[in-house]
Amino acid sequence: MAKVGVFVCHCGENIARNVKVQEVVDFAHEVPGAAVTEHYPYMCSAPGQQLVIDAIREHGLDRVVIAACSPQLHEPTFRAAAAQAGLNPHLVEIANIREHCSWVHRDPIAASAKACQTVAAAVERVKRAKPLDPIEVPVTKRALVIGGGVAGIRAALDIANSGQPVVLVERQPSLGGNMSRLSETFPTLDCSQCILTPLMVQVSRHPLIELMTYSEVEAVSGYVGNFTVRITRKPRYVKIEDCTACGDCAAACPSPVANEFDMGLSTRKAIYIPFPQAVPSTYTLDADRCLNANLQSPTGFRVLGCIRCAEVCKPRAIDFDMQPEVVERRVGAIIVATGYDLQIGQQARECGYGVYPDVMDGLEFERMLSASGPTEGEVRRPSDGKTPADVVFIQCVGSRNPKHGVPYCSRICCMYTAKHALLLRHKVPESRAFVFYMDIRAGGKGYEEFVHRAMEEERVMYIRGRVSQVYEEDGKLKVLGVDTLSGKQVEINADLVVLASAMEPTDHGMIAGTLRIAADEHGFLKEAHPKLRPVETLTAGIFLAGAAQAPKDIPDTVAQASAAAAKGMELLSHDALERDPTTASVNQTACAGCFECLQVCPYGAIERQEVRDRQGNLQRYVAWSNPAMCEGCGLCAVTCRGGFIDVAGYSDEQVFAQLGALGPLPEVLGR
Amino acid sequence: MDARIRPDWDIRDAILDMGGGDAYKCYQCGKCMAVCPWSHVETVLFPVYRTPQSVKFGAIMTSEDAEQIEREVEEVYRCVGCESCSTWCPHEVSMPTIMRGIRRILVEYGSYPSQLADAVGRIASSGNPFGEPRENRGQWAEALEVQAFTPDMDVLYSPCCVPSYDPRAKKVAAATVNVLRSAGVTFGILGEAESCCGEAIRRVGAEEVFQQVAGGNASIYTEAGVRTAVCTSPHCLLTFRKEYSEFDAGFQALHQTQLFARLIADQRLRPAKALGKKVVYHDPCTLGRASGVYDEPRAVLRAIPDLELLEIPHYAREYSLCCGGGSGGMWIERAKGERLSDIRVQQAAATGADILAVACPYCLQMFEDSVKTMDLALEVRDVAELLAESLERPDV
Repeated sequence: MAKVGVFVCHCGENIARNVKVQEVVDFAHEVPGAAVTEHYPYMCSAPGQQLVIDAIREHGLDRVVIAACSPQLHEPTFRAAAAQAGLNPHLVEIANIREHCSWVHRDPIAASAKACQTVAAAVERVKRAKPLDPIEVPVTKRALVIGGGVAGIRAALDIANSGQPVVLVERQPSLGGNMSRLSETFPTLDCSQCILTPLMVQVSRHPLIELMTYSEVEAVSGYVGNFTVRITRKPRYVKIEDCTACGDCAAACPSPVANEFDMGLSTRKAIYIPFPQAVPSTYTLDADRCLNANLQSPTGFRVLGCIRCAEVCKPRAIDFDMQPEVVERRVGAIIVATGYDLQIGQQARECGYGVYPDVMDGLEFERMLSASGPTEGEVRRPSDGKTPADVVFIQCVGSRNPKHGVPYCSRICCMYTAKHALLLRHKVPESRAFVFYMDIRAGGKGYEEFVHRAMEEERVMYIRGRVSQVYEEDGKLKVLGVDTLSGKQVEINADLVVLASAMEPTDHGMIAGTLRIAADEHGFLKEAHPKLRPVETLTAGIFLAGAAQAPKDIPDTVAQASAAAAKGMELLSHDALERDPTTASVNQTACAGCFECLQVCPYGAIERQEVRDRQGNLQRYVAWSNPAMCEGCGLCAVTCRGGFIDVAGYSDEQVFAQLGALGPLPEVLGR
Repeated sequence: MDARIRPDWDIRDAILDMGGGDAYKCYQCGKCMAVCPWSHVETVLFPVYRTPQSVKFGAIMTSEDAEQIEREVEEVYRCVGCESCSTWCPHEVSMPTIMRGIRRILVEYGSYPSQLADAVGRIASSGNPFGEPRENRGQWAEALEVQAFTPDMDVLYSPCCVPSYDPRAKKVAAATVNVLRSAGVTFGILGEAESCCGEAIRRVGAEEVFQQVAGGNASIYTEAGVRTAVCTSPHCLLTFRKEYSEFDAGFQALHQTQLFARLIADQRLRPAKALGKKVVYHDPCTLGRASGVYDEPRAVLRAIPDLELLEIPHYAREYSLCCGGGSGGMWIERAKGERLSDIRVQQAAATGADILAVACPYCLQMFEDSVKTMDLALEVRDVAELLAESLERPDV
C-alpha cells in the first residue's frame, strides 16, 4: 500500500480566501493511501518545502501530493524538494486548487468541494505513478544564427567569443540588415554604418564563425542539442575567393535594375555589391536580372548572350556555371534573428504612397539622408531633384490602426521621425519640418530629451492629429489633417511627405513554419513567456533576437541578441542534456503500423522502424517515438486507435484512476 | 461657458444605454474630424473627435446656460451620418451611433431642433415628413397606371417619401417605372399602405416613432408577401437591410441601380439613345460608404451611349463628400456658406461636367437647391432618369 503525503497550501489569502483549507485536509485524510496530511501558509517557502522533506523522511512517504498553484509555477520546486529527500521527483503530483478552484469560483463551498475532489484525484493518480529517470541527450557544440542584421551579428559574435563555433546564415549578399541602411541613429546620432561595419568585419574574420551569405535555411530537423539544418547557398556566379571587388564588372554590365539596398531610389547593375563596406567584400550576379537569365537553346543548353562582366574581370572570378549548393550542418542551438520589413498598406496608399513620387517611407528617407545613399546624403525630392523646403512627416501610418493596418505600436517611429526632422533641419537649415503624431512614445534612455531637442532647437512643428488625405496640387503635396490640440483643421503645402510605416516581421514570419515554432497573428515569433522567458521559444534550443520577435529599436535588439546568445551558450556549455522523461512510448508488438501518430506529431518525434524476422526478412513497419524529440504532448497517444501508445506519467491506469475519483461533489460543511 | 468638467455618471450611463458605448474605443486621434465633410466648410468648426470624451465624462447638456445648451444641441445635430469618420476611423468607432445615442436623450426630453421635431411629428401622423395626406402617397403613379403590389410580381417598388410627393423627385419615380417596364420586370407599389422607412428619424434620435413606422412597414411587407423591394433611396435600402431584421422582416432589398446594372448585364435593358454629354457621378454616402455600392451606378452610366463619365478628383467613392441631407440634415435650414451641398456642386462643376448624376433623392434635392442658388450651369439628374431617356428609341 502506497504511503501518500498530502500537503495543502494556503498561498497566503490566495487559496485560503475561497477554499476551506481545513476541510480539504480533513477530506484528504480519508482518501485511502493518504498517510500524512498537512497544511501551511506558503508551502513554496523554504520552511514549507522543509515540511515536505521532513515528512517524507520521517514517515517514509513514497508518494507526495502538493495542493497549491499551477504546476507551471512550482512543480519543479517540489520535485526538487522530493529529490532532496530521496524520493523520485516523478512521484510528486500537483493538485491545482488555486487557478482551478479559489481563483475561478466565487462560492467558497463549491470551490472547497472542488478542491477536495481535485486532491483526491491527484492522490489516486500518484498512487499509480512510476518512478521515471531523466533522458540524457548529447549536445552538438555549435550554434546556428539565422539572419545577419545587427541582432544576428551580435548574437554570433557573443557565442563565438565564448569559444563555441557558430554558423551565421544571411539571405542577402552582405551582412548588415536594415541597420546598414540607416543614416544616423537616435538619440546619439552615431553614424549607423560606422558603428555596425566594425562588427561585420569581426564576424568575417572570426575563426569560429562560418559565414554563409546569399544563403537560406531550407529545413530544420532534430531537437534541442541535436538539430540538423539544411542550407541552400544561392549561386553568386562570382568566386568570393577570387573577387577583388574592383568593380570593373559592374562598370561593364549593361543591365541596370532598381537598387533594393537604396529602397529603389537608385539603380545598380545586375552584377553588383550592395554597398562599399559589404561583408563579404565581393560582387554578386543577380541571376534574375542578368541578360543571360532566360536564355536557353532549344536543346536545353544554356546560352550566354552577354559575357561583358567576365571579359573585363581580371582575376577571372566570374563563373556562369555555378550551381546552388545544399549543405547540412549539425547544431545544438538556434538563434532566430530574421528582422523586419516596413509594411506598405492601405494607410500608406491613402497618404499618396505609390501615387506621388515625393511621398516616401521612413527607410527611403533614411537612404536619402545617408552619405552612401542615392543622393550622397543630400535631401532632394525624387520627382525633380529639388531641395524641399516644407517636409511633412506622418507617424502611425498603419500602426495602431486595427481597421486599416496593424493594431500594435511599431515602437521606433516616434524616435526615427524626430531624428528625420532633426537631420532634415541640419542638412537643409532653411527647411521647415512638420510632424503629425498621435502620442509621442519616447520611453528609452535619452529619448524624451532627443524629441525635445528636435522641437526646441530645430523648431520642428509637432501637430497632434491624423491626416485625412494627401494629394498633389500646383506642384505641391497638399496635406490635409487636424490638430486636435487646437481643434482645427490643418492644411500644409509640402514639398515632401515621409511616412512612418508599420514594422512587420520579415516575410510575415514564414521562418516560424520552417522551425516549427509559434508566431502571433502578425507573424512575430512568440517567446515562451513574455516576462520570464523573453528570448526562448517553446521549442527547446531555439531562441529569439531582434525585431523578428516584436518591433524594437537597436539598443533593445542588441540587448536581446546578447541575451539569446547567453541562453545558447548556457545550452552549449553542457556535454549532455537532461530531458523530461514524460515521453511517449509505442507498444511495438501491438502496433499495426497505420502511422496516424506520425501524421499528428508536431515535433517529428515518431519514426518508422523495420521489424525483421530472424532471417532478416522485412516483415512490417512499426512506429517508434524518439524520446529525445518527444515533448510529451500526448497527441499520438489519443490518436492511436488500438491505444498502444502511452505517455510516461500519463498511463491509462493513472488517468482513469484520476477520473474515477471525480464522483459527485463532496459535501463541505460550512466550518 | 463652463470652464470645468465635473463628471456626471448619470448622463454618461444614459448615453451608454442608448448605444454610445463606442466612445470607449476612441483614442482622440482626430481622424474623424480630418475626414468629416464639415472640414470643407471654412466657417464651421466641428471638432467631432471630442464627442466621445464628452460622453465618457457625461459632460453633455450639463450647462445651466441656455445658449450653451443650444450650441451643444446644434453641434450634436451637425453630424449628417455620412459614415466618412466610421469608414476611416482606425479603431472602428461609429460616431453616428454615438451621436444617435445622445440624440435619443435629447428627443426624449423634447430638446431637439424644432424643424426635426416637426418632421418626426408628421411622419408619426401621416407617414411622410411633408405632412401630405397619407392617401396621396400613391398619387404619383396613377397617371402611369402602376399597379398595386401582388405576391406574383417580381418586385415591390418602394419609392420612399420624397419621390412620392416632391414634384421634381416624382420624375425619378416615373423614370424608374419606365426602366422596369422596358426590362419586363413585373412590379407594383403599396401606396398609402406603407409609411416612411424611418431611417432618417432613427438617426435623429426619434427611436419611438421609428419603431412605430418601421414595425408597421415590416408587418405590411410580410403580409403583402414581399420578397424583394427595390428602393430609389439608399436610405430605405440601408434600414431595410441592416435594421428591419429587428422586426423579423424577411425580404431582400436592392437599390435600383443594382437592379438596373444587372438588367443591363443580362441584356434585358439596351440603352440606345446617345446622350452626348459629360456626366459626373456623385456617390451618395448611404449608397457608397454605408452599403458598399460604388460600381453599379457607374456601370449603368457607362452603358449609356455617348456619355462621358467623369469623376470628382480626390473626393469620389469612399472619399465622397456628403450633400448634407442625411440624419435629418434635409430638414435643417443652413445659412449660405454653411451648406455642404454648395461645396459638392462646386466640385462637380469644376470637372467640366454638364450633368451631375445622383442616385439618392436627398442628394437630388440638396444639389438642385445649390445649383439654383449658386446659378451654376449644371443639371442634376438621377441615374434612373438618364437611363430611362436612353431607352427611348428615336423611332418609338
